[in-house]
Amino acid sequence: MSNSYYEFFCPVKVIAGKAALEHIPYELSGLAAKRPMIVTDKGVRAAGLLDPVIAACEESGLEIISIYDDVPPDSSTTVVRDIAAIYRKEKCDSIIAIGGGSAIDTGKAVNILVSEGGDDVAKYTGAGVIKRPLKPFLVVPTTAGTGSEVTSIAVITDEKKGVKLPFTSSYLLPNAAVIDPRMTLTLPPHITAATAMDAMTHAVESFTCMAKNPLSDAYAAAAIKKVSHSLLQVMDNPKDSDGRLELAQASTMAGIAFSNSMVGLVHSLGHATGALCHLPHGLCMSLYLPYVLEYNLETIRGPLGELLLHLEGPEIYAATPASRRAEASISALRKLRDALYKRCQLPRTLKETGKVTEEQLDQIAEMALDDGSIMFNPKEVTLKDARAVLQRAWA
Amino acid sequence: MLAKRIQPMASQAKRLYVELMFQVMGRALQAVSEVDGEVQKEAQALPKGFLFEMMVMPEGAKLIVEHIGGGRFHYHGDSAPRAVDVSIQFKHLTHAFLVLSFQEKTSIAFAHDRMLVDGDVSYAVRMTRVLNRLESFILPKIIAKRAVKEYPENLHLPEKLISAAQIYLKVATHFIQTARA
Repeated sequence: MSNSYYEFFCPVKVIAGKAALEHIPYELSGLAAKRPMIVTDKGVRAAGLLDPVIAACEESGLEIISIYDDVPPDSSTTVVRDIAAIYRKEKCDSIIAIGGGSAIDTGKAVNILVSEGGDDVAKYTGAGVIKRPLKPFLVVPTTAGTGSEVTSIAVITDEKKGVKLPFTSSYLLPNAAVIDPRMTLTLPPHITAATAMDAMTHAVESFTCMAKNPLSDAYAAAAIKKVSHSLLQVMDNPKDSDGRLELAQASTMAGIAFSNSMVGLVHSLGHATGALCHLPHGLCMSLYLPYVLEYNLETIRGPLGELLLHLEGPEIYAATPASRRAEASISALRKLRDALYKRCQLPRTLKETGKVTEEQLDQIAEMALDDGSIMFNPKEVTLKDARAVLQRAWA
Repeated sequence: MLAKRIQPMASQAKRLYVELMFQVMGRALQAVSEVDGEVQKEAQALPKGFLFEMMVMPEGAKLIVEHIGGGRFHYHGDSAPRAVDVSIQFKHLTHAFLVLSFQEKTSIAFAHDRMLVDGDVSYAVRMTRVLNRLESFILPKIIAKRAVKEYPENLHLPEKLISAAQIYLKVATHFIQTARA
């Protein structure tokens, strides 16, 4: 008997499709919540994305008690404390986070404070500190990439100490994730591309890294198929709501996959590059993905070859000899990146970003080596290896 | 009937084995930090006074080492002088036994959720590299390959033998000193 073993957990109710937002009042009533607070950012409000949510609630006689729309891109413990104070003052009883990764993480952190008490969220940092269910919490993602609506982690910056605090607990997961195509319909092309490639990377790494398992594989493969099929369609026709829904669902599915099987070197390099060069996460994912797959190639030839079916479809899969499928998968991803570059100049190399210097590569490599996700990369990575991958990604 | 009688004995044997391995590993961590430049380089990035623990949940065997500066570790046995900074915790004795008897690689054990990290993950990653380096030195290549994700290509037999001899000598000396004390 092999030592094979895995764990899989996702208790989030997924509410997806046309008029999904109109399910929010019913879901909140089922959780005995009557006084919801919305946590979001100015961009979401300015894009008019709150309007359909508020309308959906009002039509069901549910009043939104408070709206906090000033979540910054890099949320902090101070912001969390301020929002919690408003929540308490207004006697809210539930949270609806609407936005991308930052708004969702902020919603999770606020939920810790308003449920557990106190003003300092930093004392709940770490794994397994929270031991009981929190207040009713719904998430409405407005980007299709992070998968934060189905992950049990939040990252908040402690401004005083200048460090990022991770919070990990299954109780951070929302009661429901509401996926409505209206929420991503106005995403600009370069964000659509970068976030979709973020979802693609979550799925590809989930499928090829060490903690892969049969259940996460199923979600990852389906997510890859959806992104491959719909991304360019949406780029060419941004108002394609069916395509938008496909990408949003892919993001959630990839989120479920990677939160149960972790990610690898693409994320290690991406986290380090984001921290040092302030590049968006999705862009880093798209940039590093083929170079890391080439590095890992001989350890992931089997699963990477399988992905060709989902990346290119049955005809090309069948026509490609089994021994060449892994390379063909990498080529398919490169082809997709080239198409995105043509449409919105999503950078394919570090040089193309214009924000990274060659002198920074050593620092990126060193930082990447200490990133937690490197533990799950299928191939061991030394400083020299990381530097070599970065050099290939340079130009 | 026989199985029922054997089971507690097997469990006790596992417990003793894990305790012994932790004692050897703790002393070996101290020793390898005294003889290997690579390990010293890794350890130097840790704060002075940094306490690292490996343990079996909930109250099982444990090993605690401290970074005393200059890339050197000091083995504290199973009791920490203060709260530890990073703890790698096996969820069950059986999981610790699988790893410490080289039936499951440390990296696979992480991937299989056999253990969890409490504390700064980046330090845990660094300590895992140190443990891998140690295992590559002190275990025969055929066994080390079962313990680490990838056996280091640049670790050649003369260096391995010399370093292993130094580490085992230091471990034995430490055991004797502990017994005398």
